[in-house]
Amino acid sequence: MTFLAPWAAWFLAGIPLIVLLYLLKLKREPVKVSTLIFWQRILQENRRRALFQRLRNLLSLLLQLLIFLLILGALAKPTLGHWISSGSSTVIILDTRARMQALESGAETRFEKARRWARSTARQATAKTPIALITAGASDAVAVPFSSEEKSMNEVLDRLEPGDAEGELKSAVELAHTLLAARRGQHRIILVTDAPQPALSRAYPDLKVLSVGTPQDNAAITRLATRPLLNSVQTSEVLIEIRNFGKAPIRGTLELSLDGRLLDAKPFELGAGERKLDLFPAVPGNALRNSRGWLKAQLDVADALALDNVAYALLPQPHPHRVLLVSKGNWFLEKLLAADPRVAFDLLTPEAFELSMASKFDAVILDQVLPDTFRMGATAGNFFFLKNTPFNQSQPNLERPLITETQSEHPALLLVNLQNITIARATPLKLPEATSDGWTFETPIRAMDHPLLITGTRKTSTGDQRLAALAFDPAESDLPLHIAFPLLMANTVHWLSGEQPVIPLAIRAGQTLALGPEQRLWPEPLTSSQKPLPPPGGPWVKAFFQPHKQGYYLISQPGQKPAWLAVNTFSESESDLRSAAPAEPAAAILPTGFSLKSVADRPLWQGLALAALLLSTLEWWLFHRRRTE
Amino acid sequence: MHTSPPIFDSAFLSKLEQLSLLSRKLFRGEHHAERKSRQTGSSLEFADFRNYTSGDDLRAVDWNIYGRLDRLVVKLFEQEQDLQIDFLIDASPSMRWQAPKARSGTSPPSKLDAACRIAASLAYIGLANLDRVNLHWFGDALRADMGLSRGKSQFHKVLDFLRTPPPPEGDTRFTASMRTFAQRLKRRGLVFILSDLLDPAGYQEALDLLRHSQFEIHVIHVLDPGELRPDLSGDLRLIEVETQAALEVTAHDPLLRRYEQEVDRFLEEAAQFCMKRGIGYVRALNSVPFEELVLRVLREGRMLQ
Repeated sequence: MTFLAPWAAWFLAGIPLIVLLYLLKLKREPVKVSTLIFWQRILQENRRRALFQRLRNLLSLLLQLLIFLLILGALAKPTLGHWISSGSSTVIILDTRARMQALESGAETRFEKARRWARSTARQATAKTPIALITAGASDAVAVPFSSEEKSMNEVLDRLEPGDAEGELKSAVELAHTLLAARRGQHRIILVTDAPQPALSRAYPDLKVLSVGTPQDNAAITRLATRPLLNSVQTSEVLIEIRNFGKAPIRGTLELSLDGRLLDAKPFELGAGERKLDLFPAVPGNALRNSRGWLKAQLDVADALALDNVAYALLPQPHPHRVLLVSKGNWFLEKLLAADPRVAFDLLTPEAFELSMASKFDAVILDQVLPDTFRMGATAGNFFFLKNTPFNQSQPNLERPLITETQSEHPALLLVNLQNITIARATPLKLPEATSDGWTFETPIRAMDHPLLITGTRKTSTGDQRLAALAFDPAESDLPLHIAFPLLMANTVHWLSGEQPVIPLAIRAGQTLALGPEQRLWPEPLTSSQKPLPPPGGPWVKAFFQPHKQGYYLISQPGQKPAWLAVNTFSESESDLRSAAPAEPAAAILPTGFSLKSVADRPLWQGLALAALLLSTLEWWLFHRRRTE
Repeated sequence: MHTSPPIFDSAFLSKLEQLSLLSRKLFRGEHHAERKSRQTGSSLEFADFRNYTSGDDLRAVDWNIYGRLDRLVVKLFEQEQDLQIDFLIDASPSMRWQAPKARSGTSPPSKLDAACRIAASLAYIGLANLDRVNLHWFGDALRADMGLSRGKSQFHKVLDFLRTPPPPEGDTRFTASMRTFAQRLKRRGLVFILSDLLDPAGYQEALDLLRHSQFEIHVIHVLDPGELRPDLSGDLRLIEVETQAALEVTAHDPLLRRYEQEVDRFLEEAAQFCMKRGIGYVRALNSVPFEELVLRVLREGRMLQ
């Protein structure tokens, strides 16, 4: 036997105090009486029982000492530690995958049935037969470590709910084995799920599978995707795939809504096991002002799993960068900027340009123009200098420089291949030292020691300020004839405009999303556009996020409009509910003799406290008898 | 009655004068008085006839009988004589005990005070009837007496005697005190014993002794309600006032009920004992108003008429 609170032994020092109190004589109030004749006659009979009285007093002392020891024993929380090894340890794996949300008979979900069974099993947990609880969903977690506390296990069970993600159960079984590895005695793993797992049962013979589901028909949206039209980026087309996982044909209506407003509704009819692709070709992305772009598809059918009858998507909402081209005329650049749907550019002659205009554009391209008033660090705006740059050196031009070094990881060189580029001449640039006004510079393209492209960045109170300087005129090279030219220019312009890493429009539930360094995500999904946005303070998520619920998630990034992320289940394995097995009696899962409801296995301190209570009642009765006799 | 009793006002005394102490026996007196005796004498109460002998007072000859029977017959009248009345007052410490103040805060006079007042009243009645009255203190022994007194004019002497009880010494020795009393007194008469009868050795032998000595005995059993129904509770150390003996008890209702039963049994035994032996017995609670005690209780006890 071990004691969980051995400090209670210090109270043993109180035993002499009890004996001392017992030895102390009762202080009696002196009262004068006329005679003791009558009192002596009365007490004469009691004196006959004096021996019994003394014995009873001694019994009271012994009882008080016993009560004290019992209370100390209860405080010390004794456990039958060495017996635990001869008991059994059980791990219950509770399936929390999306399919557990399917309704069974009695309007009870599969998960609720599983939870009810787990709760009834938790009652049988004892010190000798502790139970641990693992949840198996998109990720596995130990919800309750080995414990015999029914109350704490029930509290955790009450909080648990199935996720919207798919998952696999094998890792949860392996986790259960890891938990059990350190424990002696008999081991049991009980997987509570909706369907038999023959593969798992073969791989893990000690695994007991309790099925709480029955075969169900179900229809689901298995895909919802959007993309802008090539000829009109403001308009998107929407692809929806629906599938019937039932044994009977179904018919219903597929509804598509944008920001809560119904866009279209199409009737459909699907045979058993059939799937169907539907296209909504012209969905206006920015037709509505302040649109969040929430696109929601819904199947108007009544089936077992309501979760996959709804799908969420986001319309791509382009926000073109405003670019100012200051040039005497550059056919290549003009055509390139005009072809980029993500750019809205203006053209200005060098004479008409003033530096104060730069702050109104996301980027300014100065084609062989360098205003005299331009000062590094004093002029606001993002600039792309071509040939005439602030870094020019008064040296002879470089003739036919060879590109010898490129930083392919630089955003300006994303997917840019500069091999076989011939440059007629270039201006020698000097990479400046780190300046006191916060500029940091890089040379993504170099020709030996000469930088051919210099990029600089600095932090200002309004955000990042960037500039880029190309050492040559593209017209004096064959770069415009290569695919690298539009990529280099577009990358540079977008980098100058402050384009952040692309956030995906949609992911699947359970998939992990890596957030940018300054991005924050609100972990609760929103499904109604009427709901207010979450407050700035609160449990925002940074770095990584794994959604477990469908819906729209808000991503906040400083200096930019809030972005949204659509999360869907989109799992045929979760939507296909036909593989469930008829429910088997839960009692059959537990081996005979598992129910240990014997009093000896209950927490010992309760028994000790109860004994102390009973003995104190007996002592009180003895005391009362002594006073009234 | 350690101070002048204020209850003896003139109205009460006039009521007392109308009373007389009852005696079932006829005792031989020394002086002419108002009480019948076995002797014939000169009172107005006719007693008998006898033949005339020389020397008889001719005023006593019944001339009517002489006229009818021609015989000289002398009328005999009862001799009214005085009676000796002795009051034995228990002055032991138990008589001076007073119950702790009740919750009401009031406390009756001590049993000794009550006994003195009763004795004073009865003595006044005796003095008013020209009986010879004497008062005695007793406790662990028979103490000094007042001395025989006769006539109302001696009442101040009674009061003076009652104001000065002997100091409380020793425990009650009822039998020894009564034996001394019986040996010391040559003339028999009425004896009033005012006591709480709380002698561990018992009172029975003492009363039998007096009875065998031809005294007519009246016992006035003076009691305090506080010893009949004690108001006690909790863990107590009871100390007897006479012997200072102590006894530890835990007072609670069942124990107090048994105590009361024991006291009731003691009182009943005392009453039965006196009744069987023709001894007058009256219980006098010191909580009963004094005038009511004298005028009603003692009458009902056939000690007064």
